[in-house]
Amino acid sequence: MTTASNLLAFLGLVVTLLIVWRQSWPARLRLFVAQSLLLAALAGTIGVLAHRRGLLLVAAVFVVVKGWVIPRVLARIGSGEPVRPVAPGRSSGLVLLGTGGLVVAAYVIMLPVTSAVELPTEGAIPLAFAMALIGLLLCVTGRDALGHILGFLVFENGIFGLAILATYGLPGIVEAGVFLDVLVIVLIMEAVVVEVRREHDSIDVDRLRELRG
Amino acid sequence: MDRLAYGLAALIGIAATAFGSYGMSGDVGTLRVAWLVPLGGLELTLDPLGGFFLALIGFAAVPASIYAMGSSPGERRDRFAYLVFVLSMCLVPLAANTMTFAITWELMSLASYFLVLHDRESKPSIYAGWVYAVMTHAGLACLLAGMLLLGAWTGSPRFEDWRAAAPALSGTARNAVFVLLGLGFAGKAGVIPLHVWLPLAHPAAPSHVSALMSGVMIKLGVYGLLRVSLDWLGAGPAWWGVAILVAGAASSLIGVLYALVDHDLKRLLAFHSIENIGIILLGVGSAVLYHGAGLPAAALLGLAAALYHTVNHAAFKALLFLGAGAVVHATGTRNMEELGGLIKRMPWTAACFLVGSAAIAALPPLNGFVSEWLTFVALFQNTHLAAVGLNIVFILGIASLALTGGLAMACFVKAFGITFLALPRSDAAARANEAPVPMRLAMLTLAASCVALGLGPTLVIPVLGAVAASVLGQAPPATVGDWLTLRVSGGYASLSTLAIAIALGAALLVPFVALPLVRAARRTRAYETWGCGRIIQTSRMEYTATAFANPFKRVFDFFYRPTKHLDIEFHPESRFFVERIEYENPARSIFHDWLYRPALDLLRVGARAAGALQSGSANLYLAYILAALLLMLVLA
Repeated sequence: MTTASNLLAFLGLVVTLLIVWRQSWPARLRLFVAQSLLLAALAGTIGVLAHRRGLLLVAAVFVVVKGWVIPRVLARIGSGEPVRPVAPGRSSGLVLLGTGGLVVAAYVIMLPVTSAVELPTEGAIPLAFAMALIGLLLCVTGRDALGHILGFLVFENGIFGLAILATYGLPGIVEAGVFLDVLVIVLIMEAVVVEVRREHDSIDVDRLRELRG
Repeated sequence: MDRLAYGLAALIGIAATAFGSYGMSGDVGTLRVAWLVPLGGLELTLDPLGGFFLALIGFAAVPASIYAMGSSPGERRDRFAYLVFVLSMCLVPLAANTMTFAITWELMSLASYFLVLHDRESKPSIYAGWVYAVMTHAGLACLLAGMLLLGAWTGSPRFEDWRAAAPALSGTARNAVFVLLGLGFAGKAGVIPLHVWLPLAHPAAPSHVSALMSGVMIKLGVYGLLRVSLDWLGAGPAWWGVAILVAGAASSLIGVLYALVDHDLKRLLAFHSIENIGIILLGVGSAVLYHGAGLPAAALLGLAAALYHTVNHAAFKALLFLGAGAVVHATGTRNMEELGGLIKRMPWTAACFLVGSAAIAALPPLNGFVSEWLTFVALFQNTHLAAVGLNIVFILGIASLALTGGLAMACFVKAFGITFLALPRSDAAARANEAPVPMRLAMLTLAASCVALGLGPTLVIPVLGAVAASVLGQAPPATVGDWLTLRVSGGYASLSTLAIAIALGAALLVPFVALPLVRAARRTRAYETWGCGRIIQTSRMEYTATAFANPFKRVFDFFYRPTKHLDIEFHPESRFFVERIEYENPARSIFHDWLYRPALDLLRVGARAAGALQSGSANLYLAYILAALLLMLVLA
C-alpha cells in the first residue's frame, strides 16, 4: 500500500510539474485529465487495500466529474482561444524553480504531521500537499483566466489527494459538497469568461490593471 | 397620521420620565433576555444613575416631540429615525452589559446620523454627516476596545461584575481602560479637542433633533464618564480627576470663545453646548478628586452640582434650540446678520428665548445660576485638600469658570440683542410670523421648567443628592437647608433664589411706587433716536454681530488668529464717498490647523504608501494569498 500510494502520488506530482512546464492549452488540459485519473486511481487503490467501499464510489465520481465533465467544460471555454505561441522571454524556467522550492516547503511544513501520523500512506502526504501549493502557484503565474481556473482545479485536486492520504476519505456529505462546489465554480467561471471575452475580446489578466481606480 | 411618530415619541418621553423617576428612588430592577443577542444577551438594569439620565431624556423628549408636531413633518425616513433615536437614547443608560450597550449606543449614533443628514442635497449637511460619522465611530472603536479589554480582564461582559472585580486589577490595566473609555465618551460629549463634529452636526439637524442631541445625547457621554470614573473602575488615581477637571476647564473656555465669534444662531448654541459640558465636567472632576482623597461630603457636592447642571443645560439648551428653530422656521436663515427686530413679530418666541438666554448666562434667579453657583462652591472645597498641585488645578478650574460665565453673558447679549432687538436686517426677518401653537407650547414648558429649577433648588437638591450618594456609595445627605434657603457643605455657603427673585421683583416695583411718591412727571415723550445727523434710520446703521464680537477677537487674537477681508467700492465721482463696504474677519480654528489637518495629512501619506500594495495585478493578489498561506503554515 505504501509503495502504491507513493508511486501514484509521485506520478501525480510529475504530471503537475508538466502542467507548469507546458504552455499550450490543449496539452495542459490533457495533463490535468491525467492528474485527475491518477488521483482517482489513488483513491481506488486505497479503497481496495484499506477496505473502504466508500472510496471506490468517490473514485468513480471523481473520474466522472474531473476526468470528463470539467475537462469538457474547460475545452469549451478554451475553444475560442487561439493556441498561444510560446511568448519569447517568458519561459517556464523560473516558475519551475519556484515549484521546486514549493516541494521542499511542502516537505518542511508537513514534517510535524508525517512524524506524528502512523499511516502506511504518510510518505505521500507531502507530495499531495506540494500539488496543492503548485496549484496556487499556477494561479499566481497564470496569464489569463484559463490559467487561473486550471490552477484552482490543480489546487483542489491536491487538497483531495491530501484528504485521501491523511484520513482515507472524508465523510460522504463533505465529498459530495466539494464536488458540487467545484462543478458550480467551473460553470460560473465559464459564464464569466465567455462574457468577459465577448465584452473585451481578451481574457488576459494584465488588462485588469486598466480597471484600477 | 404624519405626526403619529412624534406623538409616539412624546409618549415614550412621558414613560421614560416616569420610569426614570421611579429608578431614582433607589429601586433596582434588571431585565435579562439571554437568548436575544450573543455575548451575554440583552440585559437592562434600572439603577438611580441610569434612572436619572432616563428621566432627563424623557424630560427633553416630550417638548421636543410636541415642537416637532408644529413644525414641518419631514419625510417618513426622518420620522422613523427620530423615533429610533428617542427610543435608543432611552435604552443607553439602562444597558447593563457590553453587547446591549454597544447595540443601543450604535443605534443612537446611526439614528442621529440620518437625522443630521436629513437634507441630502446640501453640501454642508453631507460634510457634517460625514464628520459626525467618523468621530462617533472613532469613539465607538475606543469604547469597544476598552469594554472588551475590561471584560477580558475581569472575565465578564456584565457591568455588575466589573464593579466587583475591576478595583482589584493592576494600575496599568485600569489606566488603559480609563483612557480608552474616557476618550470614547468624551468624544460623544463634545469635549475639546474631540468637539469638531458638534458645531457641524447640530446646526445641520432639524431643530427639535438639535435640541435633543445637544440637550441629552451629549449628556450620555457625561453619563459614561461618570460610570467610568466613579462606578465601574472604583476610586481611581488623582490624575483621572485632574484630566477631567482640565478637560472641563478647557472645554468651557474654548467653547464659549468660539461661540462668541460665531454668527450662525444654531452653531453658536452648539458651541455653548461644548461650554456647558465643560462646566458639568468641572463638577465631575472635582467629585472624582474628592472621592479619591476621601472627602465624601465634598465629592457629593461636586457630583450633585454636575447633575444639577446636566438637568439645567438640558432645559435651557433645548429651549434655546427650539427658539432658534422657531426663528429659522419663520425667516429661513440662521445667520444673525440677517435677523433683528423679531421681538415685535414673534413676542412669545422672544420671551422664551430671553428666559433661556438669562438661564444659560447664569443670571439669578434662574436655573443656570444655581448649578454654576454649586459648581463654584464645590470647587472652592479644594482647601480641604493638602496638595499644592491639585489646588492649582482647582484654581485653574475656578478661574476658567469665572471667565466662562462672563463671556457667556456677553455672547447671549449678542445672540438675543442682534436676533430679536432693533430693526430687521432683511426682508425675511421683517416678514416673520410667530411660531405655531405646538412650538410655543413646547418652548413655554421648557421656559417654565427653567424658572422652576431656578426657584426650587431646595426641592431638587435632595433628589440629586440621593442619586449622587448612590453612585459614590454613601448615605444621602441629611439636610440641605429649609424651604427658603439652600445650605451646602455644612454651612459653608447658602443661597436663596426665592429671596433673590422676591428682591428683584420688589426692585422692579420701586419706580411704580416711588415715582408717584415724589410726584415726578410721568408723561411719556416719543422722540426720534439720535442718528448722527442722518435723517433716515435704516438697519444699515445698526450694530452688527461682527462688530459686537470684534473687541473679543482683538483681545483673544492669539486664539482666534483672525484673517481680515476688507472690500470697499468707492463712488465713481469721488473717493470720499463709498458705495459699499464689506468687512469680515473669520477666525481660524487652531484645532483644525494644528491637530486634525496634520493628522489627516499623515493618514493620507500612510494610505498612499499602503496603496502601493494595490497594483491592480490579479497575479500579485494571488501571490499575496500564497505568501500568506506559506507564512502561516511555516510559523504555525
